[in-house]
Amino acid sequence: MSELEPKPDRRKFGFRVVRAFLITAAYAVFWLIIWSLTSMLLARFPQYQTFFSVLAGGLLFFAFAIALAEGTIYKYILKIIRAFFLMAYLTYATNGGVLTISFENLALTVEFVPLLALMIVINLLEVARVLLQAIEFAAQSPKD
Amino acid sequence: MVLRLTVRAIGWIIIFLWIITLTLPVSVVFSLMRLAEGNNLGFQEPTFTFSNGNVSISMAIYVNNTGFYDISEANVMIRLSKADKTIATMSESLPNIPAGQRVDANLSFNASLNEVFQKDHTLLIDDADLDGCAVLHFRVAYAIAFNIVNNFSTHWGAPFHNLTCKPLGYNDSAHTFSFFVSFNNHAFFPISGSLTVELYNSENAKIGETLLDLDVPSGEVFEKTVDVVVVDPSPITDKVFIRLSFAKLNILETEWNLP
Repeated sequence: MSELEPKPDRRKFGFRVVRAFLITAAYAVFWLIIWSLTSMLLARFPQYQTFFSVLAGGLLFFAFAIALAEGTIYKYILKIIRAFFLMAYLTYATNGGVLTISFENLALTVEFVPLLALMIVINLLEVARVLLQAIEFAAQSPKD
Repeated sequence: MVLRLTVRAIGWIIIFLWIITLTLPVSVVFSLMRLAEGNNLGFQEPTFTFSNGNVSISMAIYVNNTGFYDISEANVMIRLSKADKTIATMSESLPNIPAGQRVDANLSFNASLNEVFQKDHTLLIDDADLDGCAVLHFRVAYAIAFNIVNNFSTHWGAPFHNLTCKPLGYNDSAHTFSFFVSFNNHAFFPISGSLTVELYNSENAKIGETLLDLDVPSGEVFEKTVDVVVVDPSPITDKVFIRLSFAKLNILETEWNLP
């Protein structure tokens, strides 16, 4: 092997970064479509843009990091962190499932606590699933 | 193998729950849009009635639920306040409206004027601008609740607006006090009942009393000369206090210095 040729590990890492970028770009397109579909209807909700950009930005970061950590135990750790981030951020940003928009003399409050509770249950199930996957991964990994 | 199957089963449950979570709000919005279009909601002009010191506002409404989901916990609340002090709260609940069905109901709001005037005595004699707040609450699909709050201003017409009690004279042979009582009924309801006229001496002892039967329609002026006969003239002092009260509410107190 010549010295000018990249080492296989570095090349592997380069491929992994490119793959992570491509996956993140696909997710970004998905979030862009969601934004264009929801912004017309929900733009009147205060701080919807902030809420959406933090949520999409956070999930894109996790998509990139998880794709980068593919094949390692860190992938599972990142998935668990993502689930807790979603639970905490959805609860915080939706004010515990109660959102209010005000017009001139009119105020509309939407209360969707049962739906938020369902989202938290989904994320807890996701944590459980990832933990099982991590156990399976650890059991299959060759010991040092 | 069992672990892998469990992971897969949880994965399917998660996908199923995400589908429910994401489609429910969208379908609820579409359901409400279907309900809002056409003549699916309607109400008649409200009617105001006044009896036994209670004001009643009645309004017939109908809801034709053309949406996909049942509507529950429907409730309408009206709150009136003056300078951030709540003076009347009226609420009425509607029955559940199942999907695909039409419900006709009658909304009836009742308020005791006695309680209103006890909270703010000045509303009896002074017109006022009141702050109103109407709240419509309902839950769709037993999951998502909506609260629509409308703030408005309304003018209150006082039933005893510009109430005056002018002393006319004292007949010391007949021991009769005469005075002139007038007011303008600015309220949207007629006033019927007894206006109590009481006389007190400077030691706050009652020296005479009479009752005036009132039947004043809305917007009309009341003017009448009132005579109060004092049975025992001995407690009469140089200064006499006249108190007017209606439905046990003190509405005016004025003094009269005898010559």
